[in-house]
Amino acid sequence: MIYLVSTIKKQFQILLFSLMIFTASSHAADTENYLNELHQQAVKQQLWKHAEWLNLLHYEGDGSSPDDYVSQVVDQIFFLTDDGANDPKSELSAALTGIFDATTSDDANIQCRFVARSDWLREKLNIAASSLPEVHCTKYLQWRENVQPQQVTLIFPTYHLNSPSSMYGHTLLRLDPGKDKDESKWLSVAVSFGANIPEGENSILYTYRGLAGGYRGLFVTDHYYKKIQEYNRIEHRDIWEYRLNLTPEETERMVRHIWEIQDINFEYYFFDENCSYRLLELLEVARPGIELTDEFIVAAIPIDTVKSINRSGLIENIEYRPARATVLSYMLEQMPEDHHELVIKLSEDIDTLQDPGFTSLSEEEQRNIIETAYKFLRYQQSGKDQNRDIDKRSFQLLKVRNSYPVSSKPVVPAPVSPENGHNSKRASFAFGERLDNYYGELGFKMSFHDLEDNEVGFLRGASINMASLQIRAEENEGISLYKLDVIDIFSLAPRTPFFKPTAWRVYTGFETELTNDVDQLVYHVTGGGGGNWNVFDNSQFYTLATGRLEINKQLEHTIEPAIGFITGFLSHFSTSTARLEVSGEHFTDGVYRLRTQYIHNFVISTNNSLKIYAKYQWQDNNVEFSDINLSYQYYF
Amino acid sequence: MKKIIAGLILAGASTVANAGSAGGDGCGWGQALFEGQTGPASHVLAGITNVITGNNTFGMTTGTNGCSTTGTLSYSGKSVVSSIMNEFSEDVARGEGEALNTVAVVYGVEPQDRDTFAKVMHNNFAKIFPNEDVTADEMMASIESVMKTDADLSKYVA
Repeated sequence: MIYLVSTIKKQFQILLFSLMIFTASSHAADTENYLNELHQQAVKQQLWKHAEWLNLLHYEGDGSSPDDYVSQVVDQIFFLTDDGANDPKSELSAALTGIFDATTSDDANIQCRFVARSDWLREKLNIAASSLPEVHCTKYLQWRENVQPQQVTLIFPTYHLNSPSSMYGHTLLRLDPGKDKDESKWLSVAVSFGANIPEGENSILYTYRGLAGGYRGLFVTDHYYKKIQEYNRIEHRDIWEYRLNLTPEETERMVRHIWEIQDINFEYYFFDENCSYRLLELLEVARPGIELTDEFIVAAIPIDTVKSINRSGLIENIEYRPARATVLSYMLEQMPEDHHELVIKLSEDIDTLQDPGFTSLSEEEQRNIIETAYKFLRYQQSGKDQNRDIDKRSFQLLKVRNSYPVSSKPVVPAPVSPENGHNSKRASFAFGERLDNYYGELGFKMSFHDLEDNEVGFLRGASINMASLQIRAEENEGISLYKLDVIDIFSLAPRTPFFKPTAWRVYTGFETELTNDVDQLVYHVTGGGGGNWNVFDNSQFYTLATGRLEINKQLEHTIEPAIGFITGFLSHFSTSTARLEVSGEHFTDGVYRLRTQYIHNFVISTNNSLKIYAKYQWQDNNVEFSDINLSYQYYF
Repeated sequence: MKKIIAGLILAGASTVANAGSAGGDGCGWGQALFEGQTGPASHVLAGITNVITGNNTFGMTTGTNGCSTTGTLSYSGKSVVSSIMNEFSEDVARGEGEALNTVAVVYGVEPQDRDTFAKVMHNNFAKIFPNEDVTADEMMASIESVMKTDADLSKYVA
C-alpha cells in the first residue's frame, strides 16, 4: 500500500475505476459501512485482547479486571485516545477508524505514524490495501531507506568490574543486512534502550530515581561502530554477539515497530524495566507467540535475559569481539616474556628500534613488538587528555609497522560464552558449628557471583553480590538472621607491568559479631583498596587497606569507625576454587578482631556445588572461637 | 555505489554531535588522527543504567546540517570515515581489518575489489597519513587521490 510505487499506481487505477462507477458520496457511504463492519468484527473477535496487540502498545496486566491493563509507555502521543494507556479496546477502535481517515494525509495519517499497528489490523481483519485511503509516508520511507535489515543480532557487552557501571553487563540489538551481503557490521544499526536523564543531574538523586522510579527511558539507534568504540575501546569490555534466527519477516515487523516508538518515553527502572527487559519486548513483537518477559518480575539481569532468549531457541550463532585491552593481553601472552621489556621501552622511546636487542630479532618478532607497543601506548592514553608526545610516538610506531609486510590481526580464542555460566540466584543449605554450637543454615542470594563460585562464563576475580541472606538455626539459640549483605563488590584484577588496576572492595549489610561477650547483629559499611598480583598460574595474591563504620551497641559510640586490612590468596583449580584470607579491624575504642578464613568451593555441575568454610577469630579480652561449615549450593 | 552510500545516512545526526566537538566549527572534518578518543568523565555513573546523553535519540535523520555535500562521499559517509579514522590508520598500517573494510564499503568498493583497496591503502600509508596532525578532511582527499591512480579503484571515485 505505501511501499511500492507500483502498488500506489494500482491503487490509483482502482480509485479511478471506482470513481467511474460510483459517485463520490456513495463511495464514502460504502467506506463507512465497511468500517462499521470491521468494527463489529473486531468486537466479536475481542481483538484488543490479542497478545500481539497488547505487545504493540506495551500493555501489562492480563485484563482479569477492567482496570488491569497499564501501558509501559508514558507519552500520551503514543495513544490515540485520552485513556489509551489503560484501554486497549478504545485504542484499537481508534486505530481502525484512523487508518480509514482520509482527512489526515500522508505523514500525519495513522498508517504512517503507526506502521506496525496498521499492518497488524489490516492482517487480522483482512483489510485490502486498496480499500484504505492513499497515503505517502515520506518520512517513514526516508528512514527505511537507511534501515533495511535482514537479520537481528543480540549484543552483550560483558562485565568489567573496574568500572562499576558495567558490573552486570548490558544488552542491545543490532540490525544487520542479510547473511549473503558482505558488508561491514560496523555500519549496522544498533538499537538500545536507556534512561533519559536530564544533563547535569545530581548523582545521588540519579541513583535514587534510577532504583525507585521517576526516570523515563528511550530507544536509541546508532551505528554499531560507535558501540565498538564505546565498549571495546573506552571501557575495555569484551562483546558477545548472538545472531538470532528471526526471519526477514519477523525482522521487518520489529523494524516497523521501532519506527513507532522513536522518541517515545517508557517507564524506566534500573532493576527490572531496564535496557534488557525492553529488548525482550521488541523480540516479542517480532515473533508472535514467544513469551520472554514473564519471568522477569523483580529484576532483569542482562545475562539472564540472554539465557531466556537462548532457551526460547532464538540463538543461531555466537561470535566474540574482544576488547582492545584483551587483544593487548593476548599479544603479550603470545610473545616470549623477555620481549615485554622491549615493548615497554619502545612505547617510551622510538630509538629502541636501533637497540641491538631489537634488531637481532626476526622480522615477525619485531613486527609483534611494534604492534604491541602501539596498542599499549593507545591503551594508556584511553580516557586521558591528548598528549602531543604520545601522539607523535604512536604515529611513528604506525609508520614503522607499515614498513613490514601485511599480516592479519591476532585472533584471540573465545572463552566460554557468558550464557553458559551458573545462574544468578543462589540457595544454599549448610551444617556447621560456631562458638561450640551446632547450627543449620539456609542461605539465599538474589545475585550474582562470588570470588569462589564457578568462574566459567564469568570474569575472574570479579565478585558482585546483592541481597545475600543467611538464616541460622542454632542448637541452643533458636532461629535468627545471621547475615544480610545488602551489597558486596570485590574487584581483583591483577597488576602487571602493563596493567595497573586497583583492587577494591565495598560491602555493607548486617552481620553477627561477638562483642564484649554479646553475640548480636551489627550493621556495617566497609570499603578498601589495594593491589592484586598473579603469583603463579591461576593463583592471585591480594592485599587491601580498609576502613569500616559499625553500628553496634557494645562499642563506645553508636557509630564506631575502625581501620583494618584484608589480605589473601585466591586459587583457581580445574573444578574448584580456594581462598585463604586474613582480615581484621581495629576500632577507635580499642576493640579489635582478627580472623583467618578458608573457603573451598567444589563444582559438581554448572549450577551445583559443595563448599567448605572455616574461620578462626581472635579478639580483645583473649576471646577466640571458630566457625566451620559444609554447604550445598544451588544456582537458579 | 549510490545505494551503499545512502545506507550510511543513518545516524548522521548523532555523528554530527561527535564530529562537531572534535572537528571544531563549520562543516570540515578537522580532527587529527588521535583526537576524540577520550571517554566522557561521567561515564562511570552514566553507564549504570545505560544513560542517554544529549538530546539526540534516533540518529537517523538525513540532514546535512547545512554542510555542502559535494565530493565523493555524502555528509554521513564523511562522518563515518572521520569517526573511525584512528582504527582505520592502524588497519592501513597492518594491511587488513574491519575499519579498512568499513571505509571500502563507505566508498562503495565492491567485494571483489576490497582486497585491492586494502593493499593500495597499505602501500600508500605515507601519502594518506603524512604525519600525526593529518586531519580527516586531508585524509579523505588523499584516499580519493590514491584511489584515482589505481586501475581497479578509480571507478569508485569518478
